Amino acid sequence: MIETNKDKLLKIAVMGEIVPSGSGGYRPTWDGTPKMSLGMGGIKYNLRVGDPCYGWASGDHVEPGVTIRGKEKPVASACALALFACIGNEAKLVSGEAKGEMGVFTGRHAGSDDLLWFSKETIEKLAIGDKVQIKAHGVGLKIKGFDDVRVNKCSPKLLESLGIKVEDDKLVVPVVARIPGFLMGSGIGSSQSVEPGDYDIMTTDPATNEKYNLHKLRLGDIVLLEDQLCVNGRGYYKGAATIGVIIHGWSDSAGHGPGVNPLLSTKDGRIKTVIDPRANTATYLGLRDDL
Amino acid sequence: MVKTNKENLLEIALQGAITHTAVPASYTTTWDGQSQLGMGRGGIVYNVKIGDPCYGWELGENVEPGVSADGTDTDRAKGGFRNLSNVGNKVRILSGEAKGEWGIVIGKVGYLPGRNHHIVMHFKGDTLEKLTIGDKVQIRAKGAGYKFLDYPEVAIVSCSPKLLKNWGIDEKDGKLHVPVTKVVPVDYVGQGAGGSPPQSSNWDIQTQSPDAVEFCKDLKFGDIVLLEDTLSYYGRGYYHGAVTVGVVITGPSRHMGHGIGVTTLLSCKKGEIVSKLDPDLNLKNILELEV
Repeated sequence: MIETNKDKLLKIAVMGEIVPSGSGGYRPTWDGTPKMSLGMGGIKYNLRVGDPCYGWASGDHVEPGVTIRGKEKPVASACALALFACIGNEAKLVSGEAKGEMGVFTGRHAGSDDLLWFSKETIEKLAIGDKVQIKAHGVGLKIKGFDDVRVNKCSPKLLESLGIKVEDDKLVVPVVARIPGFLMGSGIGSSQSVEPGDYDIMTTDPATNEKYNLHKLRLGDIVLLEDQLCVNGRGYYKGAATIGVIIHGWSDSAGHGPGVNPLLSTKDGRIKTVIDPRANTATYLGLRDDL
Repeated sequence: MVKTNKENLLEIALQGAITHTAVPASYTTTWDGQSQLGMGRGGIVYNVKIGDPCYGWELGENVEPGVSADGTDTDRAKGGFRNLSNVGNKVRILSGEAKGEWGIVIGKVGYLPGRNHHIVMHFKGDTLEKLTIGDKVQIRAKGAGYKFLDYPEVAIVSCSPKLLKNWGIDEKDGKLHVPVTKVVPVDYVGQGAGGSPPQSSNWDIQTQSPDAVEFCKDLKFGDIVLLEDTLSYYGRGYYHGAVTVGVVITGPSRHMGHGIGVTTLLSCKKGEIVSKLDPDLNLKNILELEV
């Protein structure tokens, strides 16, 4: 069992609003085919954490559940919600028909979109524009004896549910898949901080998708990114390891694909992984029992 | 000589202005957690020129050799300046003390603060001394739509007729043999993935991991590099067996995922391009530039 400094973490309120679904009209895919995409922003009634990343008709960067944004600054990624909310934090509706009902923060899609899980009953009552307040708890989280492992966007609840063991002074983390670092694309280099964004596993080479079984990935899956360091920014570092969670789905745009929020990262060889097909936040956070 | 559609290319005027040097709003965080106020991103850099080493500049952060300009007026006009200009196109100074004198486009850079772009230009020494930030420039743009008639799947991106004429590309056994200075493994390729179109912005060779720094230490501005397993057709992304050939146009970076900037010149998916290594090859010689 790992020990953490969770008793020293501040727990603060951050706020967002449910935003409309986005649409950018037709844009070329990696091979020049025009595509009008959907699945980003808004309320997705039939897409939840734990569902497949791939296979949604016209879907691109599909975001499970409900998408909100911070509004207190002109740019969503500069808002408190973007920086401080952690995966597994409690969310409460503070306006609209579902006022008072609870949800869970499940990830952040680069630039704009913060993602929430709500029960099927609650989702039916939601409207675009409803306000949500989140108890942000997890910034500054550290694992005792592993100060070189950067913890990011991870609530104490999620960290403790990841099934981490310690062997030979290394963290052993169950993951669904090991992703080679050279497949990491859009989002690399886009920020010097890791909190406000994800970055994408590139899924625009059909042969590579087959080779690494990328079609099988699910929203919420925990994965290892090999040779990737996400401490101050995101990028290549030989021998580094990053554990992340998949927060949005497949893409047909060059250099894009399922997005990953880094949870743990180190360059010093102190993370090992074991394969476990059940390693998914929907299970870990108690959102689903059908996986 | 490889057959092209050169006779069918439009030649048009694109107008812009010499930019200020790009500076971050405050200190930035380097990959290893240091605070830095980097410099050298465009504007007028008097003492770094094409052919000079990428490494060795104090506080240098994505240094651009020579002079940079961006489009002015509307977003559409800026888009034209960025997307339709080509490496090797001539540039005329329209205002200021150097009015009427000429330079040449040597590269294109994106990912600047405020989503700005730079077209990087070379001017010979006595012209350089007369230039002022804000001087109007006009590019005589020719190259958009370029094709190799017998190689329809090879994308020609941002190449002028002068560059293609002087480059020394040969045809042998149904392949294009392209002179390059260095071949770069895909592991090192970072920011740029997911960007579109390839005619704007750039790829980066990541310069944080010690092995990548060692690999890049002798690169010079203007070197021609081949990026393995990268496709630059309708955007930039990973594709096994594809290649992108480009010109080195910025120095290294200490920000994670960033590094030596490469302006895209050619790309193909199925091995139509074969590299012909020449460690002394540089755009300076290809374009016969006077210092």
